[in-house]
Amino acid sequence: MATQRALPQSKESLLQNYNKRLKDDIRSILDNFTEIIKTAKIEDETQVSRATQAEQDHYEMHVRAANIVRAGESLMKLVSDLKQFLILNDFPSVNDAISLQNQQLRSLQEECDKKLTSLRDEIAIDLYELEEEYYSSSYNQWDSADLPLCEAYRRRDSWASAGSSCSSSQGEQEETEGPPQQEVNTQHHLNGHAGATPIEKP
Amino acid sequence: MANERLRALEEVEKEIAMVLQCAGNIVMELSKDKHNASLLDRQLVQFQSSVNRVESELSGQIRYLTQVATGQPHEGSTYSSRKDCQMALNRAEYAKVKLGELGRTCEVMLEPPPPPLLASQQI
Repeated sequence: MATQRALPQSKESLLQNYNKRLKDDIRSILDNFTEIIKTAKIEDETQVSRATQAEQDHYEMHVRAANIVRAGESLMKLVSDLKQFLILNDFPSVNDAISLQNQQLRSLQEECDKKLTSLRDEIAIDLYELEEEYYSSSYNQWDSADLPLCEAYRRRDSWASAGSSCSSSQGEQEETEGPPQQEVNTQHHLNGHAGATPIEKP
Repeated sequence: MANERLRALEEVEKEIAMVLQCAGNIVMELSKDKHNASLLDRQLVQFQSSVNRVESELSGQIRYLTQVATGQPHEGSTYSSRKDCQMALNRAEYAKVKLGELGRTCEVMLEPPPPPLLASQQI
């Protein structure tokens, strides 16, 4: 608890320190500039010789100008500290930035997945034709248990047309051939590139 | 919103530079034998307005931070959505690689076979 109470105090004291630095630097700039302008005024009566007075004024102006520049640099450092404090502790804006970034990333991901899905649908059509071509060619080395997609679709269509006027023998045939079709389909879905590997070794 | 406050602070930095530049111009003008009064007035007005703007802007920022700042660190992150997006891009890249392989395979199959070597060429 003491630690928790200490943290807000340090933030409080930090912000008070920022205020103090701001006031001091602005005051320094204004005072030193005013004094330079006052020193620039030529006076007829001087306590020392004019050369000595001029030398003294010259040195004083140098010092005051250096003070103005130092105060300006201190203000720049203060702005840098405020930027850092803002980035770390301005929770409303940090929350907004995080939610905006999340939204952008999610929309990019959804767009990517949508395009991949449409690509998959297009490629499935072409793959059907490619497999049909391949499995009817001389390079065909497929296993009879591993049906290609085109053959699976063809058998399914033939079963569907036979099922409308089904007899008992055809129904038994469907039942015996149904599970292998499902297994083959799952095989094909699990290993969609099973047809591709034989192509590579003609 | 965050960018607006940071941009405002960058404008303050430019104003501070303007303050110093105006002060320098005024002193340089006073060092001449003949002073341009209108230039002096303009530079002085700009100097004063810049100083006031710097002070008011920085005071406003410090006042806002006094209201908003807590002692706790922020624990939000974009890691999960970033990871999901990265995975989606990896999926797309993988699909691209596989499609490239398929395309090359089809091109290889479509190439005409090389002509057989004659007996004289074989020796």
